[in-house]
Amino acid sequence: MTDFLVGAALIFTGGLAAIFTGEKVKAWVFFAFAVVAQFFALPPVFGTLLNGGQLVMPICFSEPIGTAYLRLDPLAALFASVTSVGALLTSIYSIGYMKMYRGQRASLSSYFFFVGMMSASMLLLEIAQNAILFLIVWEIMSTSSFFLVAFENANDEVRKASLYYFIAMQAGVAFLIAAFAWASAASGSLDFSSFAAVLGKHDSVSMLLFVLFFLGFGTKAGIVPMHTWLPRAHPAAPTGVSALMSGVMIKTGIYGILRILLLSGIPDYRLAYGVLVVSVITGIFGVMNAIAQHDIKRLLAYHSIENIGIIGIGIGVGMLGLVYRNPLIAMLGFFGSLLHVLNHFTFKSVLFYGSGVVYSQTHTRNMDNLGGLSKYLPLTSLMFLIASLAITGLPLFNGFISELAIYLGLARGLSSGSISMVVAALFGFSGLAFIGAMALLCFTKVYGICFLGLPRTKYHVEPNEKERTLLVPMGILTAVIVGIGLLPWIAIELLKNVVMEFVPALTPDQFVPITGIFRTISASLVALIGLTGLLFGLRAFLLRKRKVSEFKTWDCGYQVGSSRLQYTSSSFAQPFLHLVAELVPQKIQVEKQPVLFPKEASLESHTQDISERFIFRPSIGILNKFLNLFSWIQSGRMQQYIMYGLVFLVALLIWILGIK
Amino acid sequence: MMAAAIAEIVVLISTLFFVGLIAKVKSVWAGRKGSPVLQPYYDFFKLLGKGEVISTTTSPVFKIAPSIGIAATFFALMIMPIPVFGSVIHFEGDFVLFAYLLGLSKFLMVLGALDTGSSFEGMGASREVTYSTIVETAFFIVIGSLALLTRHFSFETIFASVNLASGFSPLVKILLVVSLFIMLLAEGSRVPVDDPNTHLELTMIHEVMVLDYSGPDLAFIQYTASLKMTIISILIADLLVPPSFSLVAACALSAAIVTIVFVSVGVVESLIARSRISHIPQFLFLMTTLSLTSFAIVAFFLFGVIR
Repeated sequence: MTDFLVGAALIFTGGLAAIFTGEKVKAWVFFAFAVVAQFFALPPVFGTLLNGGQLVMPICFSEPIGTAYLRLDPLAALFASVTSVGALLTSIYSIGYMKMYRGQRASLSSYFFFVGMMSASMLLLEIAQNAILFLIVWEIMSTSSFFLVAFENANDEVRKASLYYFIAMQAGVAFLIAAFAWASAASGSLDFSSFAAVLGKHDSVSMLLFVLFFLGFGTKAGIVPMHTWLPRAHPAAPTGVSALMSGVMIKTGIYGILRILLLSGIPDYRLAYGVLVVSVITGIFGVMNAIAQHDIKRLLAYHSIENIGIIGIGIGVGMLGLVYRNPLIAMLGFFGSLLHVLNHFTFKSVLFYGSGVVYSQTHTRNMDNLGGLSKYLPLTSLMFLIASLAITGLPLFNGFISELAIYLGLARGLSSGSISMVVAALFGFSGLAFIGAMALLCFTKVYGICFLGLPRTKYHVEPNEKERTLLVPMGILTAVIVGIGLLPWIAIELLKNVVMEFVPALTPDQFVPITGIFRTISASLVALIGLTGLLFGLRAFLLRKRKVSEFKTWDCGYQVGSSRLQYTSSSFAQPFLHLVAELVPQKIQVEKQPVLFPKEASLESHTQDISERFIFRPSIGILNKFLNLFSWIQSGRMQQYIMYGLVFLVALLIWILGIK
Repeated sequence: MMAAAIAEIVVLISTLFFVGLIAKVKSVWAGRKGSPVLQPYYDFFKLLGKGEVISTTTSPVFKIAPSIGIAATFFALMIMPIPVFGSVIHFEGDFVLFAYLLGLSKFLMVLGALDTGSSFEGMGASREVTYSTIVETAFFIVIGSLALLTRHFSFETIFASVNLASGFSPLVKILLVVSLFIMLLAEGSRVPVDDPNTHLELTMIHEVMVLDYSGPDLAFIQYTASLKMTIISILIADLLVPPSFSLVAACALSAAIVTIVFVSVGVVESLIARSRISHIPQFLFLMTTLSLTSFAIVAFFLFGVIR
């Protein structure tokens, strides 16, 4: 346990040390500390993950906190492993990526300082099991990430986004403070383990507490409709941070939900259905909005919402399995969602890192200006393609494995004896299929528009990938993506203990059938690769004596015009968005000269998030009106404020005297 | 398993015949003599022997896409049980791998289309993925109904027991068969969703995606398309052939069903025109509705609402 804390402290110190070093070595200093930290943090983490059990350490704080317990159990270890590795990869990535910002000494210092602080706080968060300590660390995490989102604060958009993020986080933590305060008051202790008595009671209090926790943690995770901060904050942050936020930080929300679930024991059936339904809606809503985006990072942010939905579906399935005393369904649900946590970290980080490479070379995030990048950035585009296939859940890669487990859990739910479960399972089953099909649309769009075809606008500097430090973290994660995709039983070994924490009724040999399924899949997929190779060889063999010529795209003989004529991301998404126009409303503005042969015309389309338009804007409007009623208190006149002080003192005097 | 492998090889060989059958039905219906039923085979081998013209715009994705497409569809066939024979690859949840392998093939084909940088092909690609969102969801509802009905989670065991399940009424059977037939029309790019004969229309989907392919690659693509249709028609046969049939009777019946399915595709193409693009989603939503209805009937039956 001490090792783990040393690891967290080293990452923080790395950020601190970077402040005092020269501009060119800052990134290397932080990287060195992050590497050393792994040697301390990872052994206890993987030890716990693979062997089970838990490490405990009490720390005595002064009174409001009291004795706080730090516990590293398999669940915490899973999230800690992702956090630790994520911090390391971001530190590697930052070496190359932050070169863009040289000459701004102060902001570079603040970048590394806050990255270190955010990573260290996330590591602490996962082991802190005392309500006050947890909330303090939670706030440190939110605040440090706020400073990172506000990194390019000279830009007006970024300032707005970071403030929006800050307010959303404070709104979310309000739910958490209420929930933790209530739970502590009811249980008489600040320690998480004592909450079990309150949360496991199955009365209205435990239900309400769970809902409060779900809202608070859900805001961090990006559960619809509390997701609106994600598509603003992710694009605003520097790419290394976007990857860290999307791959790791939003998972702390999932971690919180899982932790509360673990304390609740067998959940109430209404909560289980609620989580499943909300998650399906989150998934569908996330990917639908992603399809409509032009900004590549904004699109990826919406995809995080989708993946949180898939993780949530798995959690919902697991909860239903617990409710109906079916350990197999529970196992499949939890296994799928936990593996998807890990998987989403891998492919979403690769996608963000890739978009960062694109941004650093082209200085645009608008997909409609990109195109043909696979010729300039072959390695990036290959890894981006693999991650795109993985996030779509296609076989050969890891996304398929976690989705398969969730599908299997849902399918088993279909054979349960309860009609409500059957209907819910079908909702999840078809919902997941719908999400998958939409993700296919979305990622053929991203990859096809950005990396294939021809550049839609001329690149002023020819893009290149000479900066190898940007590719290293992508390469490591791509290897994991392919590894889990082809050898999926590794994931069982890794997650066995975490799943058994959730489903105590499970015996290790109940994993055997799943391992068998995974082995069959693995064999088929290897054969698939072999057959593809064989066919490609056959093609080469057939063509060896034939003429293979290269020419312009035939396109039915229509070869006039420029590369601007290519299909854009908006036009690619248009048929689908037309189908779901009510759910993803678009504003389209066309400007055309009112002459017979107009030379110039322009078309702009903007998408609106309906939850923002119909939930947040009206409710904030009402809140504003209500609070305006009290605006006279803050008049700006000094005399009035002095009077408040006087009134307060008099009231205090009366109260104290009155008590006596 | 050996027998299943042999049966699947027979399917692999005969699949192009059925495409020829559609063309023949259409010619006969129109009062023409038409090309021979084996014409797709001649085309296939002719294309294999040709050279290629490859667009300078493209990347390696364009070249490898047809090979991956055909390999993925091949493994989807291996998962697909042949009536009475069963399948080569089967495990719990294999239908997910089946659907996602077809998805993999689609993903690569769409990228191949976008790789040419042509707005025509982009248009087709965009439509293809849009419509597949509807079809794929409905397909999982079909699988959901079958899993609910049989309480099995693998294609092989589902279809081995579906005809014995007590809730498998003729009504459910008809609904599922019609849903799958719509899926076949959509995935196989046939009328009324798409018209494989019009080459220069802005309204087509699959054919426009492959405009820039030639030679062996085009042969691969055409073979993949026909294999996909055959797979779905075998799915229909799986639903209808009872497992109690003897080997010969089952073979005859499945061959007859697949033939009838393809003749029906030809008849549909002769009778109606391709829908307007804006009407296609409505047609595809029919599949969703039918599959949901069949699910509801099965659920009501199993939980005793209907007797």
